[in-house]
Amino acid sequence: MARFIAEREKHNQQEQTVHTSLQPNLEEIKKLFSYGVNKDFSIRTFNLFSNQKKACLCYYSSIVNGKTINEHIMEPLLQNKGESISNIVSIENIEKVNSFSDIIENINSGKAILFIDQSETAYAMDVADFQHRYISKSENESVIKGPQDAFTESLNSNISLIRKQLHNHQLINEGIQLGERSKNEVNILYIKDIVNDDILNQVKNKLNQIKVDNVRNIEILEQYIEDRPYSIIPSVLYTEKPDKATSYLEDGFIVLLMETSSACLIVPVTFWSFFHSPEDRYLRFFYGNFSRSIRLICFLLTTLISATYVAVSNFHSEMIPPDLLLAITASRERVPFPLIVEVLMMEVAFELIREAGVRIPNPLGPTIGIVGALILGQAAVEANIISPIIVIVAAVSGLSSFAIADINMNFTVRLMRFIFILSAGMFGMLSLTGAFILFFMYAASLKSYGVPFFSPMSPHFLSSKDTVFRKSVKKELFRPDYLKPKDLQKKQKKG
Amino acid sequence: MNLLKALFFLIPLLLLFGCYDRIELEQQSYVMAIGIDTTDQENQYLFTFEIANPEVGSATAQGGEGEPPAEIVSVIGTDILTATYTANSVVAKKITLDHTKIIVASEEIARSDKFLSVIQSASRSPQIRRAVELVVSKEPAEDFIRNNEPTMEKRPHKFYNFMLSRAAQTGIIPQATLHRFFQITEGDADVFLAVYATTEQSKEKERGYEDNYIAGEIPQIGGSPTQFMGSAVFKEGKMIDILNGEETRFAHILDKTHDMDTFLATIPDPLQPEYRVSYNYAQKNKPQINIDYQKGKTAKIKVDVEYQVEIIGIQSLINYSQIQKYRKILKENITNRLEEKAKQLVKKSQEQYSTDPFYWSLYVRKHFKDVPSYEEADWNKNIYPNAEVEITFKLDKLEFGKMFDDSNVSEVRD
Repeated sequence: MARFIAEREKHNQQEQTVHTSLQPNLEEIKKLFSYGVNKDFSIRTFNLFSNQKKACLCYYSSIVNGKTINEHIMEPLLQNKGESISNIVSIENIEKVNSFSDIIENINSGKAILFIDQSETAYAMDVADFQHRYISKSENESVIKGPQDAFTESLNSNISLIRKQLHNHQLINEGIQLGERSKNEVNILYIKDIVNDDILNQVKNKLNQIKVDNVRNIEILEQYIEDRPYSIIPSVLYTEKPDKATSYLEDGFIVLLMETSSACLIVPVTFWSFFHSPEDRYLRFFYGNFSRSIRLICFLLTTLISATYVAVSNFHSEMIPPDLLLAITASRERVPFPLIVEVLMMEVAFELIREAGVRIPNPLGPTIGIVGALILGQAAVEANIISPIIVIVAAVSGLSSFAIADINMNFTVRLMRFIFILSAGMFGMLSLTGAFILFFMYAASLKSYGVPFFSPMSPHFLSSKDTVFRKSVKKELFRPDYLKPKDLQKKQKKG
Repeated sequence: MNLLKALFFLIPLLLLFGCYDRIELEQQSYVMAIGIDTTDQENQYLFTFEIANPEVGSATAQGGEGEPPAEIVSVIGTDILTATYTANSVVAKKITLDHTKIIVASEEIARSDKFLSVIQSASRSPQIRRAVELVVSKEPAEDFIRNNEPTMEKRPHKFYNFMLSRAAQTGIIPQATLHRFFQITEGDADVFLAVYATTEQSKEKERGYEDNYIAGEIPQIGGSPTQFMGSAVFKEGKMIDILNGEETRFAHILDKTHDMDTFLATIPDPLQPEYRVSYNYAQKNKPQINIDYQKGKTAKIKVDVEYQVEIIGIQSLINYSQIQKYRKILKENITNRLEEKAKQLVKKSQEQYSTDPFYWSLYVRKHFKDVPSYEEADWNKNIYPNAEVEITFKLDKLEFGKMFDDSNVSEVRD
């Protein structure tokens, strides 16, 4: 009960409006921001040149640009004459604030607040300068042909990267405040005359429904807005490439950005958004489709090759050509484990190398290669722990998994692999087929913001038919109809 | 709650039924050839299993050197499957027949009435594939399998695979799958041709030409002792005769259901019969077979074969390629000889077997409205033995290889 009252008191404080005289305001601010304890909170008091009133400027020195404060705020205030503050100060963005709750929010987002004696308004001036990495090459979704730049941890740079590619006044960047304690802004990007308003409202509703203390970044936001948190299949697309985001925007998808993440979220999704890579469209028709077909093979290989190997060799040895059969048999004669254990061991070893490879500090990087080769290679074979054919199977299945660039889908496939292996070990091909069909049925039943997972292929929708393979760029006439965009036609036919 | 109930049923299901027929590869022995022989006891047979040794010939095996490529076990039993279990008293692993390539029957058992009853069990088990080839050996099958020691293809399945497919391509042995055996035997109209082979040299034939042999007669120095040549004729599931390689080739030529590649053969030189002309026989299209049948009348069987010939060698060095008159003689000669040989075979089958080895009964079936009327007309007792068979060979193309002229002997030896 006491806690509840304390919280209510705090709440009342924040609703408090700015006092007329400077002194109580200053005391309030000092109390709110623990002035003196909080080392980077600065308060600067001085007299205005214009009317000789006392004034004071408060800001976090760590998130503002000191040079801007000096040149555009302090100097004019101390030297220039003028009717009102907005005529004196030469800063780009100046706003009047009256309540302390607004003041807190503004200071937190990198603004300087100016209090003036005998005035009931304070001024919030934008001098924010959050530190961020400069725009660098995309590392996790690399392409050979195509733009190399990647999002960085700065909202403004990210939006600039998108606007650079999309010169369209209909591209809207809408902000929604999230979080109870720390207010972070989520930016919703969409093209106004294409996007479907229903989907847009659904996204906004979902964002507004999030009632938590803090949503730090896009990666956490993803888990708040997804449809099925326990599903093995992702329902939000995560990408660090601005060109990918732009191409989705053009089709009527919605992009979410935040200040703190070097990536964006794209909703709604279909299976194809995880399957495609932006490079498919940059490469010429045949080359792009060739790489798509390779990726499709990889998709099947990585999910099914180990499981098929288990099923065929444990239950259907008559399916193996005799030479291969004898070779496998010969190599397995001295292996102490059942075949399924061997396969699981190798798959786990591969996952181990993968996980360790991500976490290992850079200077130790080469160790992974050496140790990995020992576990997955000749040494393990010579120690009679595994048979050489398993090495090939595990290598193919591991290598193919890298062809699925999207990290979410990648995990889906890697986890399903284990389920398939276990099901293949149960009744062979029968249960493997069963498990695959169940998985496929489940995937087909999924919807992301009302969009079926395998659309536009099944159910069929009018679209540019960019599914497993894509059409030539000149023949892509429609935006995906499963989004019900306001403007379906991409190009007007000639004549 | 529903999920809990489902799990309650599912988990025991998985535990009880999971891995029901799972078996590791190394826990099985793979039989590549099965031999069937008679024994002293009535209705008991000697089964010989040739089990491949996986360690021989595979690069991955550590050790296994000095081991034979196959383990050969012979046991007595009533049928193939029960014999595998008896053989487990000798063989450590489960005997699997999934990869069997051939079933060898000795000529003795093939000619006996018991053959059908013993081979019957092979069709019943899903383990033995229908594509297994049926081989009849002159000696006991056990001896055949034991003596068969290929020098190059150490792994038994490799040898049988290559041997049977290549020899069948050249037409000297038939394609004799178990499936075809049951198909023809149960059809009860035609005769079935099985592969004829032996590892025992019989008295060499004194005057033979390239395909004019049966297995065991081919003069040979070096190589493996096994000879595949000719075919064993099965009528109603019982062996009645042997065809030599040449006859087997003609059976191929006249049978639409066989696939034969080109083959090389020779004929006596039409102008100087002491020499021979070798040629490459190729048949691009299947033969045209028309059977004219009317109830109560003699059936007329008309067979048209279109073939191509490329001359390989002319021993006599007669200029057949440039002189039109000679070329015509050669053409006629080849055609006549082919027709004559074919007719001989047809005559032999009509008189000796009273049915055909060409699966021609297929083309008469359309003249009957149902099975009983077809059976009543009786192909192998009535229609075929009395039929008028007309075989025409038509030379479609005659080639002389890449060089038209042979060396001029008189100029070379001046």
